[in-house]
Order: sequence, then C-alpha cells, then structure tokens
Amino acid sequence: MKSYIIRRVLLVIPVLFGVSIIIFAILSLFSPEQRAATFITDVRQLRDIQGVIRKHHLDAPIYMQYFSWIKEVLKGNLGWSKTASRPVLEAFFYFLPNTVELSLFSAPFIILIGIYLGSTAAVHQDKSVDHITRAIAIIGWSLPTFWFGLLLLMIFYGYFKGLFPPESLGLNSSLYVNSKDFMRFTRINTIDALLNREWWIFVDALRHLVLPVITLTVVQCALVMRIMRSSMLEVLGRGYVITARAKGADEKTVIKKHVRRNAMIPVITVSGYLFAGLMNGVVITETIFNRKGLGWWWWRAAVQLDIPAILGAVLFNGVLFVLTNLVIDLLYAYIDPRIRLG
Amino acid sequence: MKKGLITGVIGILMVGLSFFALAGEVKNPDTFVEATIGTIDSLDPAWAYDTASGEAIQTICETLIFWKGERTDSFVPLLATQVPSVENGLISPDGLTYTFPIRKGVKFHNGEPLTPEDVEYSIERAMVQDRDGGPVWMLYEPLLGISGSRDAEGNIVIKFEDIDKAVEVKGDSVVFHLKKPYPPFLSILANTWASVVNKKFVVENGGWPGTKDTWKEYNNPAPGKETLHKIACGTGPFKLERWDPGVEIVFVRNDDYWREPAKLKRVIIKIVDEWTTRKLMFLAGDADTIYVPRQYIKELEGVEGIRVYKDLPSLSQGSAFFNFKINPEGNPYIGSGKLDGKGIPPDFFSDKDVRLGFAYSFDYETYLKDAWMGEAIQPTGPIIKGLPFYNPEQEVYYYDPKKAEEHFKKAWGGELWKKGFKLTILYNSGNVQRQTAASIFRDNIEALNPKFRIEIRPVEWADYVRDIVTGKLTLFIIGWLADYPDPHNFVYPYMHSEGTFSKWQSYRNPIVDGLIKRGIEEVNPTIRKRYYDQLQMIYYIDVPGVGLHQPLGRHYERDWVKGWYYNPILPNAGLGGYFYSLSKG
Repeated sequence: MKSYIIRRVLLVIPVLFGVSIIIFAILSLFSPEQRAATFITDVRQLRDIQGVIRKHHLDAPIYMQYFSWIKEVLKGNLGWSKTASRPVLEAFFYFLPNTVELSLFSAPFIILIGIYLGSTAAVHQDKSVDHITRAIAIIGWSLPTFWFGLLLLMIFYGYFKGLFPPESLGLNSSLYVNSKDFMRFTRINTIDALLNREWWIFVDALRHLVLPVITLTVVQCALVMRIMRSSMLEVLGRGYVITARAKGADEKTVIKKHVRRNAMIPVITVSGYLFAGLMNGVVITETIFNRKGLGWWWWRAAVQLDIPAILGAVLFNGVLFVLTNLVIDLLYAYIDPRIRLG
Repeated sequence: MKKGLITGVIGILMVGLSFFALAGEVKNPDTFVEATIGTIDSLDPAWAYDTASGEAIQTICETLIFWKGERTDSFVPLLATQVPSVENGLISPDGLTYTFPIRKGVKFHNGEPLTPEDVEYSIERAMVQDRDGGPVWMLYEPLLGISGSRDAEGNIVIKFEDIDKAVEVKGDSVVFHLKKPYPPFLSILANTWASVVNKKFVVENGGWPGTKDTWKEYNNPAPGKETLHKIACGTGPFKLERWDPGVEIVFVRNDDYWREPAKLKRVIIKIVDEWTTRKLMFLAGDADTIYVPRQYIKELEGVEGIRVYKDLPSLSQGSAFFNFKINPEGNPYIGSGKLDGKGIPPDFFSDKDVRLGFAYSFDYETYLKDAWMGEAIQPTGPIIKGLPFYNPEQEVYYYDPKKAEEHFKKAWGGELWKKGFKLTILYNSGNVQRQTAASIFRDNIEALNPKFRIEIRPVEWADYVRDIVTGKLTLFIIGWLADYPDPHNFVYPYMHSEGTFSKWQSYRNPIVDGLIKRGIEEVNPTIRKRYYDQLQMIYYIDVPGVGLHQPLGRHYERDWVKGWYYNPILPNAGLGGYFYSLSKG
C-alpha cells in the first residue's frame, strides 16, 4: 500500500512536466506582441511595446523561455502574475483559502443531498417521489449557474436589502479580520473566526456563504443524485439483495447495509472529481458573489493571457487531479474490501 | 444536533434581518466605498501608468502642486508653498529654470519631516527607475530632452550626472533645470508620477540609496521589484492600511495631516467584476460610487437615493487611423494585396482621395447617437475640447455620400471605382463602440459601389495590439487618454513621425514635425496657439485619420455623498475623484 501511494505521488512529476510542455507549445502560437499586450494596462503604454517585449524576453525562442521558466520554478519562483499584481505562488496561497472555504461548505451539501435524493428516488422507483426528485434534479442541472446565482442575489441581497450579501465578509468584519487583533491561522474566515472565538465574524462569514453554497448545491447535486440512483437500481437487482430480503432482513437494513454501501463506488468517483472541480475554483459562482478565489483569478488570467498564472494553474491542476485519483482509489479499497491496491 | 442546526440557521437569519432593518440609513458614515473593475498595477509613483494605480497613489502621496478644483489649467501649491510663474520669479524668463520653495511642517506617514532632499530624491529616483512602458518619459523630455534612459536596444544612454544636475536643492527650495522650454512642465509635476516619497523609507526598504555608483542596478526593474510596489509612505490625507492586489485597497485617514484631516475615516476601493453584483451593492448602500458601463446606464435611471452627474467632458478621444503603408507579410486583411477588386495594395491609403472617401462616408451623428447614446461629441482634430488652444472653429468632416463617391471615383486614377476593393477592418471583441464604427464604415461604403467590400471582424485585445504594432491593420480605431492637459500630449502621438499612432500609420510630414517642435519649445501662449491651429488645419487637410468621439462621462454616487467634483485629468475622475474633498451624511 505504502509503495503504491509513493508511486502514485511520484507520478505527479512526469504529469506536470508533460503538461507544462504542452502549454509552452501552445504558447509558441502567440506572437511576442500578443503576449506583451498583457502588460499594457493603458493605451498610452503602447508607445513602448518593444521595450516591454525586450524586458520580458518575449522574443526569445520558445525553448529558451521554457528552460528559463523551469529554472525559476525549481527555485520556487513561478513568475509574476500581472492579473493578481503579485508573484504567482503568493497569489495562489492568497486566493486558495476562499476557494477551499466555498468547497468545504458546498461539497458536503452537494454530496449528501445528492446521495439522499438518489437513494430515495431509487428505493421509490417509478413512484411520485422518484418522478419529483428526478424532475428537481434535471431542473437544477439545467439551471445556468450565472442566472440562478444572480436570481438569488437579486432576491436575498437586492430585494431583502442586505440579507445575504455577496463577497466573503461584511465591511466591519473585513476590517477586523485584517487588523492586528485577529490572528489569521488558515485565512479561511469561518475557521479563523472559530479559532479566535469571534462568533460574530463566524456568523457573518456564514451569512456570506449561504447564497454561493445554495447555488452550487442546487446546480451540482443533480449529478450525484443521478449517479446514485442508477447505481442503487443496479445493486437493488443483485442476487445478494434478494437473498437478504428472502432471509427476512428488514428493508432498512437491506438498503443501508447491502445496497447503499455497494452503490457508493461510482458516487465516490464523481464526488472526487466534483470536489477537485470545486477546488479548482468555481469561476461563475466566485465572480457573481465577488468571492476572490482561484477560479476568479484564473478566469482573469486566461482572458488577459497572464501566462505565468496560467502555468501556475496547470501545475496546481496536475497535482490536484493526480492526488484526487489516488484518494478515490484508496476510498474504493475502503468501501469494497475486494479491491486490493499495489 | 438538530437543535444546534436550527439555532444556527435562525442566528444567520436574525443577523441578516438586522442588516435588512438598517436599510435606508447612511451606511458606514465614515467609510467611502468605490466598486470598480480596474486592477491596481503598483503603488510606486515612478512605475504606475494606469488610472487605477494613479487613483490610489494620489490618495496617499502628494505632489509639489495640484490642480485647482475643476480647472486643468491652473494650480494650487501643495508641498511647494507657491506655484512658480515668470511673474513671481520662480520660473526664469527663458523658461529653463523652475524653483519650488518647499513647505515646512509637513510630515510623512512614518513621522519623518518633509525636506527638499526628499523632493529631489523622489524625482531623481523616478528617473533612475524609468521602467519600460512607464510614465517617466514625461520627466525625461523636459529635463533631459530625450524620452528615456535607454536606447531601442535597451542600453543605458545617459550618465547619472545628467539626472543629478537636472534637479537640485538650493536652500529650502528645489530647482529644476530644463533642457529646453517646456510649457506643460507644471502639468507634468501635478501628476502622480511626480509624487514625493520619503527617502529614508525607500532606502530602508531596499530602494535606491541615492548614490551614483548603484543607480544602474535600480534601472528598469522587473514587475514587483520596484521598491514601492506594495508599500507606501507619502504625505497625503490618507495612509495605506492594506492592499490585497486584485481584490481591494484600504486607506485610513492621516490624522497628522498638514492640512485639516480628511472628513472620511476610511476609503476602500474594491474590484467587483460582475455588473449586477456591483449594481446591487450600490443600491444596498454597500458601495458609495461604482463604475457603470455605458450599456447599463438605463438600469440606474430614476432610481431613488442615487445622484448622477452627466455630460462630464473627458480628456480622451477615439479616432480611426488610416495605415499608409500596410505590412503585406502574411496579411489576411488586404486580400490579394493588389488593386484588382479582390484586395487592396499595401499603400492603398496613401491616396488622399481614398482617405477622403472614408472620411465622408462615416455618419458621425448616427455613430455618436448609437454607440455613445448621444453622450459624446465629435472631435475637431487631435486637440480636443478641454485642452488649451482647442479650436472650436476648426472644420471637421461630416457624412456626405456624394462627396465620398466623388473622391472614391478620383482615387487611384479612377481604377478604384472600376475595379472595386476588398479589405478587413478589425475591432477588439467586446468593444461595442469600435464595432459600431467599423459597421458604419462598412455599410456606408459598400452602399456606394457594389464592388466595394469591407469585412469587419472581432479579435481579442492581444491580437488587436499585435496587428496594430506590426502594421498589419488597414485602418485601426483606438483611443487616447491625456497624460497631461496640453496639446503636445495629443499632437505628438497623432501627428509626429515618431508619434505612437502616426508611426504605426507611417504618416510623415516634416512640416508637422517642425511645428510640433516649435509648439513645445514656445513659452508665449499666443504664438503657441498659432502653431497648434496650423497643426489642426494640417490634420484636417492631410486627413491621416478622423476623430470619431470625445466621450462625455457620468458620475454616480449615493445621495449621501458630499463634496465630489469633477476634474477630467484626475485618475478615475468619474469615480471617487479626490477623496480628501469627500464626506458622507
């Protein structure tokens, strides 16, 4: 098991190397002028665009640019993000907590509600509960996040003035958490508020999480629900379930012990990727609710061709998805003892 | 467990409802919040060249002189005690020496007193730093007569002594020695790139120590390596409390300010990209002013609790520039590259009749009405309304299809009308105004002759920039924003053979170059006016481009905001403006 984990973790290196080469190959399609445009924040700077190209070595052969980037990466310098006005690594750790917080609060709701609705629908297959649940799931899945998030914001912030506001914290809370009186342990507002025993900050941070969490839950839990339902239906038809019922086991035990647990494997796969997706930043939700997380930053970086930030995003995603796959495999083994790793 | 959950939900709702109950009152009466979209690039005055950074720097740092209220042509002393003039003897009669007596009793935010040495150091430090694409060329031009410290290959071409001699301390004053007379010099010194910083603070934080032997190490630093990138120590009415790059910046009142302290305790500028979110924050009172894109202005019309200022003339304009010598290399925008009806030759626009045909084909009125909702005026040439020597009597082109046809028939010896042409006009995607302008050119010109074909195409900003600077665009539509309010800042980029736009157009006129030189070196306003009137006339006659719009801006604020005024040269003038003058209540 140990060697399996080490091998999988080491897999990160070739994955990152390969991905970075692909990205640089794509970069070679952009001219130095196109890339220099990233550094132009005002049309008046266009007069000196050749100086900008020269300064950032944008006219050097692409392999030279790659080697100098790799050299800097090995020194821990991922470059300067123009869109974040700070070094990529620093920006990453700055934006990460907001994304982690949103993911930590959304993922349990998405997964648990998805599992609950999925198993309820499967158990009541073709009954009204099943139809209603499926209809809700389809509607939720079909809702454009952009539209639904704005609708919630207009109702709960616009109509009920200020009830559930956008951003991560209110004005007073924000000033307080950034003051010397407040210790930043994790930069995750809810957790830091608990560690500082500042309940009003905790409640305020939760208040700001309500709408983005609802948005993500409504839109995302449909997938988990659908997977859970199909998986449950498949397991419900298996021989050992019929045997359990024939032996007189009560329905609750059959569903809980024999069906739900065995139906979980595909749900774990989906949930793993779903969580990785959330950690990767939820661009639209973060933008609408003005929560400055990784998704918001990377979206800006992509639009403005902020190459160092894009490369940073690629590296992070490489690590994230290799680790996600590893965790999913470990969970398979835990859920289903027949699966052996190594 | 269930009880805890219910209690938690009720708690959140109660807190939310308590905020709901507060609706209608002045929110955060001593804090001003501006919600906008522009990212601050740097807090270093010698680095910053964008309006978002300028707005932040102007809040923390001060200059020797500052704009007098809404005026762009007169000043008040700030860190100097007098505004130099020939009359008060602080500008020498030859216009080459400017003396600024430095105010006493002013303290920096770190408690250090302001000295003339700080002023000298600040200007010299800016010139030492002189990054690529930065604003310091504006100090180099008047003081050293060149545009920067490096040549086109990036080699340093000046000596430290040049910088050192340009700015000197004499007793309690600072003296600037100009290479040649430069009438807009005071305007340049009133802007953020000439902000005064505390030498001790900069040196303590690893900045240039002010010595000759090390100055080259501090020249043209990499982004983020400029000493004052995220720290600041000025003398301004607000101190930097916190800057989360890309997120928000917070300023707190400087209670030790040399004038009366500001009325606001805090100012916050935050980035809110999504329009609806920004609007809702404004309506909820969580933002006191916001950036409102032109396409959304109707959404805020007649809304209670909001004050709107309209028709604010900006010091910017957008024009269409004809490319006299299009780069044909792999250029998809000129079709066959010949005058055969399937493309255009690279020197297509070198024929004046073609340019006149385009100029008379553009429906300026419709453009201003459709693309700008009537909130823009037609420029009379490079020197726009609001600049000194603006000439409202200057003739302009107007929409006249008959005249357009006349000129197109004469163009290329009559061949153009017979054979027709095909070309592409680009605009950067998302820019509705440029798209509208390109469509007007296409629709009106194609209507004149079925053999005339114009394709318009959106491209990303990066592609647009690439094609402009590599000379591939047939004509390009782009805007210019004043660095300082003087005609030189417009005629140079628009008309000089080395100007930003004219160089990309390959537009050269030796008479123009001579007039521009004379205009900037002339201190007599009457004579200057003559030069600039001539330049305006030449622009009309040569028609290297046509002015399309000078926008009229708007300012939105909550009705509890007091003290806002508009000066178009202030960075982000249509947003918070000058925070020192603001209050709430």
